[in-house]
Amino acid sequence: MAPRRRSIFLRTRRAPGLVLAGAALILGMNAARAAPPIVVGTTISETGPLAADALFQLRGEQLAIAKANAAGGWLGRRIVLKYYDDKSSPGTAVRLYQRLITEDKADLLLGPYSSLVTVAIAPLINKYKMATLEPGASVPTIYVPGNKWNIQTVASSTTYLHQLLPLARKDGAKTVALLGLQSAFTLACDQARTAQAKSLGLKIVYSTTYALPQPDFSSIALAIKNARPDVVLACTYYPDAVGITRALHEQGYAPRYLGETVGPVEPAFIAALGPLANRILSNTSWWPNFKTPGNRTFIADYRKKFAGMPDYHAAAGYSAVEVLGAAVKATHSLDQGTLRKWLLEHTVQTVQGPYKVDANGRAVGATQDMVQIQNGVLKLVSPPALAQAKVLVPYTGS
Amino acid sequence: MLALQLVINGILLGGLYVLLAQSLNLIFGVMGVVNLAHGSFIVVAGLFTYWFTIRSGVSPLVVLPMAFVAMGAVGAMVQRFLIEPLMRFGNRAELLSLMVTFGLSYVLVDLALQLWGSDFVSVPYLQSSWTIAGLAFNQALVIAGIFAAAISAALYAWLNFTLSGKALLAASQSPVGAICCGIDVGRVRLVAFALGVGLAAAAGVLVIIVTPLAPETADDFTLLAFVIIALGGLGNYLGVAAAALVLGLVQSAAGYFLGGNAEYVFPYVLLLGVMVVQPQRFRRAAA
Repeated sequence: MAPRRRSIFLRTRRAPGLVLAGAALILGMNAARAAPPIVVGTTISETGPLAADALFQLRGEQLAIAKANAAGGWLGRRIVLKYYDDKSSPGTAVRLYQRLITEDKADLLLGPYSSLVTVAIAPLINKYKMATLEPGASVPTIYVPGNKWNIQTVASSTTYLHQLLPLARKDGAKTVALLGLQSAFTLACDQARTAQAKSLGLKIVYSTTYALPQPDFSSIALAIKNARPDVVLACTYYPDAVGITRALHEQGYAPRYLGETVGPVEPAFIAALGPLANRILSNTSWWPNFKTPGNRTFIADYRKKFAGMPDYHAAAGYSAVEVLGAAVKATHSLDQGTLRKWLLEHTVQTVQGPYKVDANGRAVGATQDMVQIQNGVLKLVSPPALAQAKVLVPYTGS
Repeated sequence: MLALQLVINGILLGGLYVLLAQSLNLIFGVMGVVNLAHGSFIVVAGLFTYWFTIRSGVSPLVVLPMAFVAMGAVGAMVQRFLIEPLMRFGNRAELLSLMVTFGLSYVLVDLALQLWGSDFVSVPYLQSSWTIAGLAFNQALVIAGIFAAAISAALYAWLNFTLSGKALLAASQSPVGAICCGIDVGRVRLVAFALGVGLAAAAGVLVIIVTPLAPETADDFTLLAFVIIALGGLGNYLGVAAAALVLGLVQSAAGYFLGGNAEYVFPYVLLLGVMVVQPQRFRRAAA
C-alpha cells in the first residue's frame, strides 16, 4: 500500500506562518472596515456674492486635510471633508448644517464663510452642542455669554483697519467719513471704527450705511466730496468696494486716506480698477512673509495644488483645520464636550499666528494687519516689524 | 451747484434704468410674455463682454453689436421653441411664459457659472468723468444714457410708425384679429422677442462697465426692470423712460440727503405708492 500523502498544509514547514499571515490579513481587513473616516462637515459659498472669498477658505481647508491625511490622519483614521454649497444664503446654510448633523452624522464641523452666514447657523450649533471652529466669522456678537459651541479662529471684525485712524490722526488728519454695508461683519466693523474715531477726536463729517445691490454710488460719493474728509473708511465686501472707489473718482474727490476692508486683497479688485486702486489701504490676518510655523510649506503646497497665491481666507481655513487636528490628537477623542474644553483652554500656533480664545469662544490671539496697494501690488505696511513698505500718502486715485 | 450735480447724477442713473427696462417693456409690456430670464440675458452678455475684452483687449463697445446679434439669435430660438408653443393656451400663456422663463433664468445662470465662475467681475473702462463747468458727468453712464435714449426713440418709432411695429401691437392686442388681417403673428412675435433679448444683451454690455456683475446678480436686474416698467406703465415707452428718469432723480436725492439705505429702498416705496394710487397702470397699454 502506498503511503498516505500528508495534506500540503501539514507537509510544509511554512504552514504556521501562512496561517498567521492569513489571520493577520483578515484581521487587518476587518480593522480597516471597522475604522471609517472622520467626517468633517461644512458648507461653503461656492456661488453667490460671497463666493470669490469663500473659495479661498475652502481651498485652505482642503489643503490642510490633505496634509493631515498624508501624515496618517487623526486617531489613525482618514479625514474626509464633506461640504455643500450654501449659495451665500444664511437660510440655505442652516438647512445644510441640519443635514450634516442629523443625516450625514458628521463627526466634526467647521463653520461656513462670512459672518452673515455664520450668525444664522450659530444657534443650531449651540442646539446640537457641536464644538465648531468658525474660520469665516469675524463678527463678535456670536461669541458672547450664552454661546458655548461656536469658537472663533479669525480676528474680530472690530479690529479690521484698526491701524488706519491712529495713523491718519498722527499725520494730522482731523475729519473722517465712514461707510458700512448692511451686513453683520461690516456693520460691526463700522461701529468699531466709529467709536475709535470718536475716541481719537476725529470729527465724523459723513456717515452712512447701504445695502446691495447698489448699481451706483454717485450720491454717496457726492456727499463725501462735499464733506471733504481727510479719511474715507469703508467697511465693504468686493462689489461695493469697487463701486465706492469708482464713484469717488467720478465725482472728483480723493481723500488723503482711503481704506476698504474686504475687496482690495482680491486680485480681481486691482484688475477691475487699474490705477484707481493705487494706495488704497486694506487689512489682512495673514501674509506670505509671516514667520509662523508651517507658513512656507502652506504657501508652497497651495501654489502646487491650486496655482496662484493663497490669501488670508485660505490661511484662515487652513489654520482652523490645524487647530481642530491639534484638539483631536491631544484629547484622543471626537467627543464634542472634550474637544470644546480643550479648544477653550489651549493655544495653538498656526500659519496665521497664535490661536487662542476667551471663555466665550472669541478670538484673542488673532490679529489684523494692514496692507496697501502700491503700483498694482499689495504690500504689507503694518506691523512695522514685518512691513514690506511704508504707507504712501495721499491716495491719488491714479 | 449741488442741486445741479444731483440732477445730473439722477438723470444719468435714470438713463441706465431706461436701458435695463425698455427691452423688458417690449417683451412684457407689449407681447405679454413675463420674461423672468431678462436679468439673466443681461448678465450673460455682460460676463461675455468681460471675458472677451480681457482676452482681446478691445473696447467693450466693440462687443455691443456682436452681443446684440448673437443674443438676438438666442432670443429667436427661445421664442420659437419655448414661448411660441405656449401661445395656443390663450389667456394662460402669460402664466406659462412666467414658469418657462423662470426655469430658463436658472439654466442661463448656471451656464454662466460653469463658463465664467461665480466671482464678481468688472471691465476697467470709462472709469472717469467729463467735467463741464465744474459739474461731473460719469462717462460710463453718459454712454449708457445715449444708447438708452436711442433705443427708446427707435422702439417708439418702430412700434408707432412702421408696419411691422404696428403689426406687433396688433398681434399683442388681438392675435385672432391680427391673423384675420393677414399678419403672420408667429413671425412678428419672433422678431419682437429676438429684438428684446438683443437689447437686453446690449444693456448687459454697458452695465458691466458701470458696476461689477456675477451670475447671481441676474435676479436683481429682473426685479429692478419690472419695477421700472410697472412705474411707467406696461407697454408705454415714453412712460417707462419718464419713470426711469424720475426714479434716478429720486434715488440721487434720497441717497445724498437720507443715505445709502434710503436710495436702495426708494424704488420699492414708489412702486407701492403707485400700486395704491394708480393700479390701472398695470394693465398693458399701447406704446
